Amino acid sequence: MTYSGTTDRIGEIIEVYTTRFLAQSSGLEDLPHFGSFVRADSQDTNIYGLVYNVHEVNTDPNRRPMALGLEREELLRQHPYLPEFLKIEFDAAVIGFSDGAGIRAYLPPFPPRIHSFVYPCESQEILDLTEDLDFIRSINALPGLPVEELVAASIRLAYAERGGDRAFLVRAGQTIAQLLKDEYEKARSIIRRISDVG
Amino acid sequence: MSGKAQEIGKLIAGSLLSGLEAKLAENVNVEGVSVGRLVVVDGVQNKFFCLLKDVSLEATNEDILLNPPSDDFAKLVHAGINTFYKVSIQPMLITAQNPTEEDRPRPSTTVPPHFSPVCEATEDDVALIFGKPGITNPEIGSPIFMEVPVCLNLERFCKRSNAIFGKSGSGKSVLARMVLGYLVKSDMAINLIFDMHGEYGWSATSEAGIDDPSLKQLLGGKIAIFTVDPKSPLYHRIRPDFDVQIPYSQIEIADLELAAGELGFTQAGIETMYRLSDKWGEDKWLAKFLTMDTDEFAGVVEDLKVNDQALGKLHRCLSRLKRLPFIRNSVADDTVTRIMDFIQDGKHIVFQFGRYNSMLAYILVANILTRRLHKLYVDKTDSARADGIEGPKPLVVTIEEAHKFLDPQVAKQTTFGIIAREMRKYNMVLLLIDQRPSGIDDEILSQVGTRIVGDLGDERDINAVLTGLPSQSTLKVLINNLEPRQFLLTGFALPMPVVIDAKDYGRFCHEVGIGVGAIGDEIERRKARDDLNEQVYGNDEIVFD
Repeated sequence: MTYSGTTDRIGEIIEVYTTRFLAQSSGLEDLPHFGSFVRADSQDTNIYGLVYNVHEVNTDPNRRPMALGLEREELLRQHPYLPEFLKIEFDAAVIGFSDGAGIRAYLPPFPPRIHSFVYPCESQEILDLTEDLDFIRSINALPGLPVEELVAASIRLAYAERGGDRAFLVRAGQTIAQLLKDEYEKARSIIRRISDVG
Repeated sequence: MSGKAQEIGKLIAGSLLSGLEAKLAENVNVEGVSVGRLVVVDGVQNKFFCLLKDVSLEATNEDILLNPPSDDFAKLVHAGINTFYKVSIQPMLITAQNPTEEDRPRPSTTVPPHFSPVCEATEDDVALIFGKPGITNPEIGSPIFMEVPVCLNLERFCKRSNAIFGKSGSGKSVLARMVLGYLVKSDMAINLIFDMHGEYGWSATSEAGIDDPSLKQLLGGKIAIFTVDPKSPLYHRIRPDFDVQIPYSQIEIADLELAAGELGFTQAGIETMYRLSDKWGEDKWLAKFLTMDTDEFAGVVEDLKVNDQALGKLHRCLSRLKRLPFIRNSVADDTVTRIMDFIQDGKHIVFQFGRYNSMLAYILVANILTRRLHKLYVDKTDSARADGIEGPKPLVVTIEEAHKFLDPQVAKQTTFGIIAREMRKYNMVLLLIDQRPSGIDDEILSQVGTRIVGDLGDERDINAVLTGLPSQSTLKVLINNLEPRQFLLTGFALPMPVVIDAKDYGRFCHEVGIGVGAIGDEIERRKARDDLNEQVYGNDEIVFD
C-alpha cells in the first residue's frame, strides 16, 4: 500500500541521488529530527528515507549570518524579515520503498523526483520499515554517514513507536551484533546508545 | 518420559578420531550442560550416540574479549553471535534412524553431516543402547541427569575379568554388592568373594552409619559364608556355613613371597626358604621350622650352609603366622574340597576374615585357596574339553585390595595374575575391587573386560584405569568429574561408556531380596522410628557451613 500526503509535509526535495536525497524544509519551525523516518511521494511510489543531516543556512550563499547577541523572540521582533533570508535543509538516506505491494527495505529502482514533497512517516510505516531491521545494513553501507548515531537514534525511535517493546530492542541489538560482527567497536558503541532506553 | 528429544545445538566441526563439536543453541542454559551426558546426533540416515566430553566458551572476535560487554543488555545481544558455547562430543555408537528389531547399535565408523541437530538422549535411545532391564541384564543405575535404566549385560560380564575402582567413599562397595547380588540372582556364574572387611555377608554399614542388608540377608540359602574366625561378632545373628582352617602344608613359598611386605622378610629370606623346602620337603618345612627353638638354629646353619642371622630373621618373620589361629599343623576338613562341594550345589561363597582382617591373613588365604581352585578348574575344564562335555560353571572370584595380588613385581607369578591373563579359558574370572589401580600391573589392567570406575582423585590411578582403552582423553575428563555414587562404566559388557548415578540400594534390595518381606518390615520399622523421633524431637537439622 502506498501512503498519500495526509500529514503536513515537512519539505520539498531539491537534490536526489540513488541512495539519498536533499530536501528543503517548509518552514523554519518544523525541524525534522535526526534519525527520523520520512517519506517522499513520487510517481505513485513512496520512497523512505532516514534523516541523517539537518542544516540551516542563509538563502544567499554569498552572505554569512552574523552573531547578533539577541534572544530568539527579541531577534524576530527586531528583524521580522529574518526568516526570509534563512532556509532549513535536510539530507535523508534512502532505506526502502513501497510500490503498493508492501514495504521493501532496499533501494528503489529510481530515486524520488526533485520537487516531490516529503512527509514524516506514520506510525504503521515506521513499524513496517523496522520490522526486519534490514535498513541498518543499508545505512551501514553508505559512506560518510554518522552510522553509529543514526542507527541508535532510529532504533530508539522505533522502540518508542512500539510502546517500549523490549523484545524488539533485543532483536535490534542482535541484528547490530550480527551485521557489525567484524566491527565490534562500532557495534558496541551503538548497543551502548540503545541500551539505556530499555 | 520418552518423547521428543530436546535439541541442544548443531554440529559444526570435528572428526571421528578427535570428536565432534557443536554450537550450543542460544536458548540452552550452558550451566545445565554437563560433561558425561549422553547425546544423540541425528544424521540423515543414522543416529549417532555420543558422550558429551567438554564445554567451552568461544568468541568470533578477539575484540570482544579485550573489551567485554559491560551490561546485561550487551551480553544478551552478543550471545550466540559474537560469543557462543561449544560442546565437544565423542561419537561412540551408530544405528539406523528407524532401526528394526535386529538392528543393534554398532561402533561408529563415520560422522554425521554439518549442522546435524544434537539432542539430549531420550529414554528410548538409552533403552536401545543398553537394553531393557531383565534378570541377566539388570539395571545398575541411570545416566546422569536422566531417570532411565542403564543395564549391565551379565552374560558378557562373566566372560572377562572385571574391575570396580574408586577411592574410599566413592560408593564402590555398595555398587560391588549390587553387581554381585545380581550375579548371584541370575546364576550366570558362581561367585567366590574374598570379603576382607565383612561387607558382603549378613549386613554392611553404609556411609551414613546404617546397617544395610547384604548378600546373605538378601539372598539367603544361595549364599554360603566361610570364615576363618567363627567367633567373630559378625556371627551373632547367622551361623557361618564353614569354619576355615588351613594347614601349614598347603602354604607355598610363592604365597609367602606375596606377603613378603606384611611378613617383613627380604630376598635373602626367600632364598633361605627355598633351601629349607628343598631339604625338608615342600609340605613339611614350614611346620617344622616354626616349631624349632632358636638354639636349634646352629645345626640348621651348619646343615644348610645358610647365614645364621638371615635364618633368625626369617624365623621371627614367619612366626607371625602363629598369630593366625586358623593356620594349623593339621586340619579336620579341606576347605577347597568344601568350596568345590558348595560350588557343585550352585551356592555362592562369601569368604570372611572376622577379626583377622589383616592384610597378611587376607593375602595368604585368598592366594592359597585361589591357587588350588584354579588348579582344580584347569583340570576340570581340560578333562571336560577332552570328553567333549560342558566345563564347570564359570567362577567369578572377587578380591578386594586387588593391587596386593597384581602388583607388577608379583603379577607374573601369582594365580590371580594368571587368571586375569588367561581370561575365561578355564571358566574362572576375577572381579577386582580396588582403590589403588595404579598399583596393578599394566598387562593385567589391559585385560580387564569391564571397568566400573568411581571417583579416584589421584592422577596416576586415573591413568591406570584407562590403560588399553580407546578415547582415553574423553574418559579421563569423565572420571575427573565423578561425584560420590557416580560411576563411569566402560568395556566389554557395555555397548558404550556411560556415566551413571548408581541405583538406589533400597531399590536393589527390593528387587533382589528373597526375604523381601523381612527387609520391607525392617525399612518400615526404621521409618516408624524416624517418624517417632521427628515427632518427639522435631526435624531440626544441624547445618555446618
